[in-house]
Amino acid sequence: MQPSVNVVSLVSVGRHPQSDRSRRADQDARAVELGLKLAGKNLTLVHAGDPENPVLRQYAGMGLDAFTVLRQKSYSDVLPIIGNFLTENNAHVVLMGIRAESGESSGMLPYLLAEKLGWPLLSRVADILHVENGKADVLLALPRGQRRAVTVSLPFIATVDNAAKDARQSAYGPGIRASITVLDAEQTADNMAASWAISPAKPRAKRMKVVKAKNAADRFKAATAKPVGGGGNVLKQGTPAEKAQAIFDLLLEEKVIR
Amino acid sequence: MMFDWLTPTLIAVLLVLAGIGAVRRMNLWRAGQADKVDLIAGLMAMPKRYLHDLHHVVERDKYISRTHVATGGGFVLAMLLVVFVHLFGVDSKVLAWLLLAALVMMFYGAVFVFKRRLNPPSRLSKGPWMRLPKSLLTFSITFFVLTLPAAGVLPEGFGGGLLTVVLSFCILASLVEMLFGMTWGGPMKHAFAGALHLAFHRRPERFGGGRSTGLKAAVLGETSHGVAKPTDFKWNQLLGFDACVQCGRCEAVCPAFAAGQPLNPKKLIQDMVVGFAGGTDEKYAGSPYPNVEVGNAKGGPDQIITDGLIHPDTLWSCTTCRACVEECPMMIEHVDAIVDMRRFLTLEKGDTPNKGAQVLENIIATDNPNGFSPSSRTHWAADQNLNLMKDVQQADVLFWVSDGAFDMRSQRILRAFVKLLKAANVDVAILGDEELDSGDVARRLGDDATFQNLAKRNLAILSQYRFKTIVTTDPHAFHCLRNEYADFDSDLNALASVEVLHHTTFLNRLVQEGRLQLDTFKGGKVTYHDPCYLGRYNGEYDAPRELLASLGIDVAEMERSGYRSRCCGGGGGAPITDIPGERRIADMRMEDVVSTGAELVAVGCQQCTAMLEGVVEPRPVVKDIAEILAGQLIEEAH
Amino acid sequence: MSNLIRRDPRAERIARNRLHPLHASMMLAEQGEVRGPSGLIRKNPHLVGFIGPNGLKRIDRANAFAGTVNRQKRVSTAQEVVLPLHQVVNPDGYIVVVPDMVGGRLTSQDKDILGLAHSLIAQKGTGKSANMAVVAVCFGESKESQFDLAGVDRLIHLSSDVFDGFTPEARLSALMQVEAQYQPEHWLFPDSVNGGTDLASRLAARLGERPATQAWQVSTTQTVCRGASASTDITRETPRILMLLEECGTAIDETRHEVLSLSVESYDQVPARLLDKGLMSVDPNAVPLAEAEFILSAGNGIHNWDQFHECASVLGATEGASRVAVDDGFMPRTRQVGASGTWVTARVYLAVGISGAIQHMQGIGQCGKVVAINTDAGCDMVKRADLAVIADSEAVLAELTKLVQEHHASKVQEEKHNAA
Ligand SMILES: Cc1cc2nc3c(=O)[nH]c(=O)nc-3n(C[C@H](O)[C@H](O)[C@H](O)COP(=O)(O)OP(=O)(O)OC[C@H]3O[C@@H](n4cnc5c(N)ncnc54)[C@H](O)[C@@H]3O)c2cc1C
Ligand code: SF4
Ligand code: SF4
Repeated sequence: MQPSVNVVSLVSVGRHPQSDRSRRADQDARAVELGLKLAGKNLTLVHAGDPENPVLRQYAGMGLDAFTVLRQKSYSDVLPIIGNFLTENNAHVVLMGIRAESGESSGMLPYLLAEKLGWPLLSRVADILHVENGKADVLLALPRGQRRAVTVSLPFIATVDNAAKDARQSAYGPGIRASITVLDAEQTADNMAASWAISPAKPRAKRMKVVKAKNAADRFKAATAKPVGGGGNVLKQGTPAEKAQAIFDLLLEEKVIR
Repeated sequence: MMFDWLTPTLIAVLLVLAGIGAVRRMNLWRAGQADKVDLIAGLMAMPKRYLHDLHHVVERDKYISRTHVATGGGFVLAMLLVVFVHLFGVDSKVLAWLLLAALVMMFYGAVFVFKRRLNPPSRLSKGPWMRLPKSLLTFSITFFVLTLPAAGVLPEGFGGGLLTVVLSFCILASLVEMLFGMTWGGPMKHAFAGALHLAFHRRPERFGGGRSTGLKAAVLGETSHGVAKPTDFKWNQLLGFDACVQCGRCEAVCPAFAAGQPLNPKKLIQDMVVGFAGGTDEKYAGSPYPNVEVGNAKGGPDQIITDGLIHPDTLWSCTTCRACVEECPMMIEHVDAIVDMRRFLTLEKGDTPNKGAQVLENIIATDNPNGFSPSSRTHWAADQNLNLMKDVQQADVLFWVSDGAFDMRSQRILRAFVKLLKAANVDVAILGDEELDSGDVARRLGDDATFQNLAKRNLAILSQYRFKTIVTTDPHAFHCLRNEYADFDSDLNALASVEVLHHTTFLNRLVQEGRLQLDTFKGGKVTYHDPCYLGRYNGEYDAPRELLASLGIDVAEMERSGYRSRCCGGGGGAPITDIPGERRIADMRMEDVVSTGAELVAVGCQQCTAMLEGVVEPRPVVKDIAEILAGQLIEEAH
Repeated sequence: MSNLIRRDPRAERIARNRLHPLHASMMLAEQGEVRGPSGLIRKNPHLVGFIGPNGLKRIDRANAFAGTVNRQKRVSTAQEVVLPLHQVVNPDGYIVVVPDMVGGRLTSQDKDILGLAHSLIAQKGTGKSANMAVVAVCFGESKESQFDLAGVDRLIHLSSDVFDGFTPEARLSALMQVEAQYQPEHWLFPDSVNGGTDLASRLAARLGERPATQAWQVSTTQTVCRGASASTDITRETPRILMLLEECGTAIDETRHEVLSLSVESYDQVPARLLDKGLMSVDPNAVPLAEAEFILSAGNGIHNWDQFHECASVLGATEGASRVAVDDGFMPRTRQVGASGTWVTARVYLAVGISGAIQHMQGIGQCGKVVAINTDAGCDMVKRADLAVIADSEAVLAELTKLVQEHHASKVQEEKHNAA
C-alpha cells in the first residue's frame, strides 16, 4: 500500500443487542479492521461525538496509537463537520458501517457524505483488494455469500458489510494508552428528529399463511392441516425413498434447491 | 608427596569458579522485576521448608525420596567436610570418619540414582542428567579413597603417582559437575537455585501445609501488561524456574500433554530458563511439546517470549488445573507463569485465540460469557420462589448462582440444590440479576482488567447486603470469591467476615446436622471426579465423599483422584481457546471413569458436568452431587 | 369490490372473433367461467368432452377417464379464476415502487410493497386525490409475467443495457428523470440487501429528502420505523421516500391491473465511477459457514463420507460438521458448527447423524428450518427439528441425491424445451 493513500475509518458508539450497553459497533469495527489492512498504523480513526466515551478505547485497542474526535453533542447532525474533516484531511478511502447500532440507524450518513462531497459510494463492501493508481478494486457482499467485483476511483466512501473480515480483538493496554485529538466543531441541531416518538420495538407477528378458502371444505382443511414441516414433523414409517422425498419437498419449498 | 597441593587447589579453584557462577546466576535472576520478600526470614525458614514441605511432595515417590535424602544429604555433608578436611587440611580423625560415613551414604544413594537411570521413565530428562549418577558415584568414590589416609585406614601417600593422577582427574570431573555445574547451569543447579527458591518463594503461604492458589492481581495502566519478556517476571519467579530438576512429574500429570496438545510444563519451565539466560533449547533432553520439534526455540532476557521461544498455543493449551504445581517437588508455579504470559497476549496484543475474543467481548458487554441478556439471568428461577437480596436485604445464606443460570443443563443442578436448601429450611437468598460473572474465565484468559472490573462491581453489590455465608455450586466462582476477591475488597470489606463455601461442603454440614433426610442410593457403582478448582485449588476432597457415603455409596475411586485428579479439560478457558490436540481431555477422563466400572460419575461442578457429558455416548451417567442428593431426598409429607 | 362482476370488453371481443390469434388460448383459459353479456355463467358446449381414439368426439358421462392427463390439465386450468381488472384512468398522481426484481422477478417483499402502495391510495378515500396509479420501475431484463396480478398499474421498464449488472449511478439518474417527469407522491423501496436500500438512499441523498428506513407500518400520515438495530420503534410523519421491511403490507390478490407502460424521456448518461467487474463465482463450500444459507452437516452418524460430500455438492449445500466428525479427522476444523466452532445462520440446516448436544445446538440457534436424519428418534436434534426422518443416513442420503439429480435433469430438459 502506498503511504500516499489516506484511509479514514469513521466509527460510532454501538449498542449490544442483548444488554443495550455501549460497545464498539460491529460493522464499524470491521471498517477499522479493513482500514488497518489497507493503511496499518496510518489509518485515521475518527468519531464525531463525546471524546470521553470509553467505547472509543475499544476501537483504538485494535492497534492504533491515536484517534481523532470531532466533539459533538448527542442528537446533533454530524454531516457538516465530518464532511469538512474529510476534505481538509484529504481522505482517499473512507470506511464506515452500513447502519449505526443506536439512534435512527437510517444508514443515510454515508450517502449524504458522498452527495455532499461528490464522491462515489459503495455499499456493503466485503473486502478491498488493492488501491492503486487512483483506483481501488473492491468486492461487494451479496446475499448467499456471493461477491461482486467493482473498480472505483479515489476518493470514495465505502460501507462495510458484516461479511467483511471479523474485527480483531481489542486489546486493553493499547486502547487505554492511545492519545485522542479533540477537534471542536460547530454544532448543528437535528430538529426533525426531535419531533419523533421513540419507543421500544414492538414484536412483529410473523405473517400467517393466509388461506382464502372458497368453500367450507377448504376452510376446514386450512384450519386443521398441519403446516408442512412446521412444529416438528417426525417421520418414522416409510421407505428411505419416501423420507428423502419429504426432505426434498421441504428443500424445494424453502427454495434452497432450484 | 609432590601432588599434595593438587587436591586443595582443585577444590579451591572450583569453589571460586562456583562462586563467580553464583554471582552471575543471581544477576540473571535480578534482571527480573522487584518483589517484596523477607530475605532473612526466608533464609531462616529454608531448611525447614526443604525438609518438611519439599520432602512432603517428594515423598509421593518413595523410591526417589529415600534416594534423594541419601544422595543429597550425603553430598551436602560430605562437601562441607571435604572443605575442612581436604581444603583447610584440618587433621581430625573424627571429621575424616564422618566424611567417610557421609560419602558412603551418598554412594548408597547414588547407586539408586544410577539404577533409576538405567531405564528411565519418559518423563525424566536425559542428556546431562544421565551423567549425573556417574558424577555422584565418582565424587563419593574419589573422596572416599582420598579420605582413607586421613582416617588412618591407609598410609599417607598410598598408591603412588598413577593413582594420584587418576584420582585428580576424578576430583576434577566430579567437582566440575558438583560445584562448577551447580552455578553454571549443570544438573546440580537445582540444589543451588532450589534452596534459594525455597527461601524466597513468591507464595510463602504454601509452606507448612498452607494453600495459596489465587492468582496475583495484574497492575493495570502501565506501559505494558503481563509478561512479554523474561525480565518482566518477578525475580523470584525466574529463580523458581532455575530450580527445576526436570523430574517430569508435572509432565506426567499434565492433561494437555497427555491429550497431545502442544504443552509440556517441564519444557515450558526449561524454556523460561532458556529465555532469561539467553540461547536456544537445543540442549533440552526431555520430552518435547507434543508434535513440536526441539531445537528451534530461541530466547533472551529482553526478547518477547512468544516471538520464537514459546508458541502462544502452548500457553493457551493449559487448563490451569494445577496438577503440575501440586506435583512439582520444587514447588514451581507453572500456572502463575502461564497466566502472566497470557495477560500480555490478551491485554497487549489482543490475541486470545478462537472464541476467546468473542467470549471476552461478551463478558464486557453483558457480564456473561455467552452474551445473553443480563436481564434474563434469573429466568431459571422463575418457578423457584427464591428470595432476592434486593428485597430481603439479609439472609443467612447467599446462594451465588453463577453463569450456570443461563445454561439449561446447569440449571438442573441449580434447581436440585435449591430443592435441598428448601428441604433443610435454609434462610437463603440470591442476588438475581444483580449478580455478575465471577470473572474466572476472563482472568484465566489473561484479561485481568475485566476480571478486576467484575470483582469490584460484584463486591460493591455484595457489600450492600448482610449474610454470613456464600454458597455456590460453581467451584470456579467459589475460588474467585474465596481466594481472589480479597485483593480488591480492602475498602468495602464485603467478604471480610463471610464464609465462602462450596455447595458440597455446605450440604455436608446440613446432612451432619441431620437437616436432610436421605434415602440410601440403590443405583449401580459410583465414582467421583474431583473438580480441580474444588480439590487442588481449595483442598476440599472430603465433603463430597462424605456426602456420597451418607447415601450409602461406596465410591469406586479412580486411579487418579483426590489431589491427583485428572482435569476434565474445562478449566482455564481451555474449551474456549480450544487448542487442537490428538485427543480430548474429557475423553481421557471418561476412560478413567469407565475403568472403575462405574455407571454413574458424581461431580461437583457444572463445567465438569458439561465436559464429561460432551463425551460421545455410550458412557456412564454424569450427575452433580446436588442432583444425586436431591434424587434421594425424603420429602416430608405435609 | 372483488365480488363485482366486471365485463372485459377486450376479452369479449376476442371471444367473439374466432380468427383472433388469442382466441384459442383465451377460450381454454376461461373455461371455468364464461359469462354472457348479462353476467350469467354460460356453458360452452364445444368444449365438453374429448376426442376419442378413433378421432370422434366423446362425452364421458361415466367419468371413466377422470384420471387422464388431458382431463387433469383442464381441471387445473379451469380453476384459474380471472380477477377483476383495476383501472386507473388519467391518474392525478403516482406512487412509484422500485422493486428489487431479484432474478428478474418480483420478490415477495416487492409484492407486499405494491400492495402497500395500493392501500395508501385506498386510504385516501374516493376523491380526486385518490385517483392515483401505482408505478413500478424496473431495470434490466424482466422475467416477470404477473405484474398485473401484483398490482402494477403503470410500468416503467428501463431495459437498456446501461442498467445491466451493478449500475447504481445510472439507475439513480433514471430515477431522477422519473422524479422530474412524474413527481410521485411517494417513492417506495424495499429495505433489502438486494439493492433496494442502496438505491433508495442514493435517491434520498440526491433529492435531499429524509427517508423513512426500516419502515414496517405505514399510513398516509404516520410511519413506524425500526431504529437502533431494530430495538426501537420510531413513529414519525410519513415522508416521501420510504424503505420498507418485509411484510410491511399485504400483496394484491384480488384484482388485476393494467400494466400500462409509461415512458421516460432521455436521462443523463452519467460517467460511471463505479465499474462493475461482474459476479465472482463462489463455490458453496467456499462460502463462509456463518454466511451459508443451506448447510448439510455431518456428525458421528455418517459412515460413508464420499457419499456425504457428493450429496452436498449435488444439493449445492455448504458442508458443516459436529465436533466429533472434526475430531475424528473427517472434516476440517473450519467446518465445525457449535459452541466452539461457528454459529451459523442458515435458512435450512440439514443435520445428518448429529445427536444434538447442547454445544452443537448453541451454534444453530439462529437457523430457520432444521431437518434431521437420525436413527434415534429420541435424540435432541430430532426434538429440535422441524422435520426429522428416522432412518439410516446412508440410505436417505442416497435417495435424496437421486431425487435432486432427477430434479436437475428435468429442469435442464425444461429449459431446453423453453429455449426451443
Ligand atoms: C466445551 C465443549 C465444547 C463443544 N463444542 C462443540 C461444538 O462446537 N460443536 C459440536 O458439534 N460439538 C461440540 N462439543 C461436543 C458435543 O458435546 C458432542 O459431543 C458432539 O456434538 C456430538 O457429536 P455428534 O452428534 O456428531 O455425535 P454423537 O453424539 O455420537 O451423535 C451421533 C448421532 O448419529 C446418530 N446415528 C448413528 N448412526 C447413524 C446412522 N447410520 N444414520 C443416522 N444417524 C445415525 C446417532 O443416533 C446419534 O444421534 C463440545 C463439547 C464440549 C464439552
Ligand atoms: S517443573 Fe517441577 S515437576 Fe516439572 S520437571 Fe521441573 S521440578 Fe519436576
Ligand atoms: S495447570 Fe494443568 S494443564 Fe496447565 S500445565 Fe499444569 S498440568 Fe498442564
